[in-house]
Amino acid sequence: MKKSQSELNVFYETAHAELASALEMLAACKVTESPKQAFGYFMHAKDEYNHARSFFEMLSKRGKRASIEIARDFRFTPPSLITKGYISKKGFLIETMNLKDFIAFVYTNELLAKSSFENILILVGHSTHESRRISSIMADELRHHGMAKKFFLNHYPDLQPWQLMIYRTKETIHNKGRKIYDANLKFLDRLLTPLYRAIAYLAGTMAMKLNLNEFKRKGKNLMNISSSSIL
Amino acid sequence: MFIGVTGYNHESSAALVDENGVLVDFYREESLSRIKGDKSFPKRSIQKLLITNNLKKKDIERVAFYERPLSAFLHIAKEASLHMPRSLSLLTHQFRNFNRSSVSCYLDFLKFFRGLETKLIYSDHHLSHTLTALAYTNTKKDICSVVVDGFGDRSTASISQIVDPTEINELWECPYPISLGLFYSSITDYLGFAINEGEYKVMGLASFGDSKSNSARLVRGLMDWDSTSNEIISDMSYFDYHLSTSNSFSNKLEELLGPARNPFVRLVPGDSDFQRCADIARGAQDLTIYLLEKIFTHAHKITNSRRFLFSGGVSMNSASIDSLAQLSFVDEIIIPPSPGDAGCAIGAAFYCYIKSNYYSDFNISKPSLFPSRKEIRNDEFITEQIVSNEFSVLQRDEDDAFLKAAELIAEGEVIGTVLSSSETGPRALGNRSLLCDGKNKEAVENLNNVIKNRSPFRPTAPAMRYEIAQKYYRLRPEIYECYKSMSATCKCFEENVSLEFPTTHVDGTARVQIVENNSSLDKLLSILEPMGIEILANSSLNVSGDPTCFDLVDGLMVCSRTKLRYLLTDIGLLKRKK
Repeated sequence: MKKSQSELNVFYETAHAELASALEMLAACKVTESPKQAFGYFMHAKDEYNHARSFFEMLSKRGKRASIEIARDFRFTPPSLITKGYISKKGFLIETMNLKDFIAFVYTNELLAKSSFENILILVGHSTHESRRISSIMADELRHHGMAKKFFLNHYPDLQPWQLMIYRTKETIHNKGRKIYDANLKFLDRLLTPLYRAIAYLAGTMAMKLNLNEFKRKGKNLMNISSSSIL
Repeated sequence: MFIGVTGYNHESSAALVDENGVLVDFYREESLSRIKGDKSFPKRSIQKLLITNNLKKKDIERVAFYERPLSAFLHIAKEASLHMPRSLSLLTHQFRNFNRSSVSCYLDFLKFFRGLETKLIYSDHHLSHTLTALAYTNTKKDICSVVVDGFGDRSTASISQIVDPTEINELWECPYPISLGLFYSSITDYLGFAINEGEYKVMGLASFGDSKSNSARLVRGLMDWDSTSNEIISDMSYFDYHLSTSNSFSNKLEELLGPARNPFVRLVPGDSDFQRCADIARGAQDLTIYLLEKIFTHAHKITNSRRFLFSGGVSMNSASIDSLAQLSFVDEIIIPPSPGDAGCAIGAAFYCYIKSNYYSDFNISKPSLFPSRKEIRNDEFITEQIVSNEFSVLQRDEDDAFLKAAELIAEGEVIGTVLSSSETGPRALGNRSLLCDGKNKEAVENLNNVIKNRSPFRPTAPAMRYEIAQKYYRLRPEIYECYKSMSATCKCFEENVSLEFPTTHVDGTARVQIVENNSSLDKLLSILEPMGIEILANSSLNVSGDPTCFDLVDGLMVCSRTKLRYLLTDIGLLKRKK
């Protein structure tokens, strides 16, 4: 059961990541002032949407075989793209980064994504329909990486290859950092859960004593209730 | 200028009302973020309101949030606290996420729109619903407002008497946790559909069910109306939505109805579990209609009103509206085009407007069904390469494009539309639609199954002019306005040819859209009718799971991702190349 759960998790998280990439590219397409760039972002977004669909289909195939309790945990709800951190609460990357950093981010992460798909390839087994799809997705990611590199060098011709390397290393470190942070957060979460629950129990005990009846509205003119009150 | 804002709990949105009481602009955050059901602070929507309407923060007189944040938080915490330790996970979640709840609205304004936080005021959740609905009536006085949703900021259903927009007296409420909306969502969840998204599917599925079946009878018994106390009563041991963050129903419900459905298994008519699920959906639908009739009857009893506003998430249950219209005391029911929480931004904006003009004359203008201002940005320029590489422009001139689109529809093609402003509500009314000949079975199947990949038990809505609809459907004058925004279903006449239309549901009903004069669909139908096509099948332009398209880029993307070939846009009629 644990194996099936972790397998579902891989497809679930990857589908989220691919869909988030699609939305990032679509957002970039909408904010750029260049029709040529808009076309590039549009095609990139379309590829990422297709990748997300492939992973959702793979998730669905496995979800059908899972127990209902487990399957229910892997239902996709779009707002989870934000709550799980795939799309930042601050906005899309194109809204929060300068163009140079954005392209560098794409350039690096496409390559990192490709390498993470190699692990999924092992999971689905070689010479299957799914493995062919994943190989095709990997080829897409490599193409996106190449396009981002080309774009980068076209727009910033003064950049030296070593500078590109620095961008890549920086982003790789960022990614690893994010993973370590995430793992630590989960560890801390497990560690602190009993404390959180104890606090919630105390707060709940106080909440139990709250009398909210006086805030009832029955018989009142709703337009006369204070507009500055949050209660 | 006045801004109304919703968010954090359900779909977020922002609305702008001017000093003359006119709804100038409205955006749902999901339209801009492309994340369906996006409930984060609507910073993109507010930003867009300001930019599109060329406003500075100093031009905004007041901003209203659609509910009282602390009230919503405390009511949930208080109820959960009564069931400790079973509810400890919910309580932990509530307290840990306190800073992410709507309580942080003030801080988010401070963070993203510094200066506006000082202008922030708060309206009651159900009052925001009421004011939204009130805006869509012709007369704004002496009418009864019925709000039924999952949970507001203190109750789950309420009845108010509107004397005039400055005097709205609440007369009855259904206290949390007993909730018709959350009951329906729990059944949605039990049937394997996503809460806040799958309720439409349950409604469509119900038509296949049998009211006399054992499953329907059992569901029907989960809630009732107590005629002595005039209250909704429910055995809460079947539900967990007030105790848990992950389960909306309890094990006891599964013991009663059998195991919940695996969400990944597609539900297809004829499959082994289909009839049981359909019967359960039927039971939920029957119970919803029964309780709504009771609430409306009580509303009439305590207000003497024959005219009603109906809003809140449950009013999106279009299959129940026809029954309400048949109640002997009902003269009129008005449902706003966006009756859920997203639409509350409109009510909140009007709340600011009324509060600011409390002692002087004010006028609330009836909003258009398509309020969002057209993009200032040059869509044609920015999509130039996308269009030239991926599409052919068949016709550029607007009239020629409509004529060609009509010809294609007559030939059995499906056409997508991205025209002018987008719709207020969740239903596409022609400007962001997928359209085909509503009597052509093959075309409707193509739209439903090939392009949209919808559940096979969900019908597609037919759109037509009023004079045409009268020939086929039993329309009720009490809910005439509802037909304009697809908010109510109606029955086909008995032994009428409409029973055979592919847009007619298995139970002989259809969610008819009466097309408004001078709308895009009106223009298209005026060309199509002489060709013998009087009904269009109309579905929203989106890929399943995505929000409805907002701008031209979204429309081009849907076309590229699906088998849709034609797109009627403001820049002409486009055909996908590959």
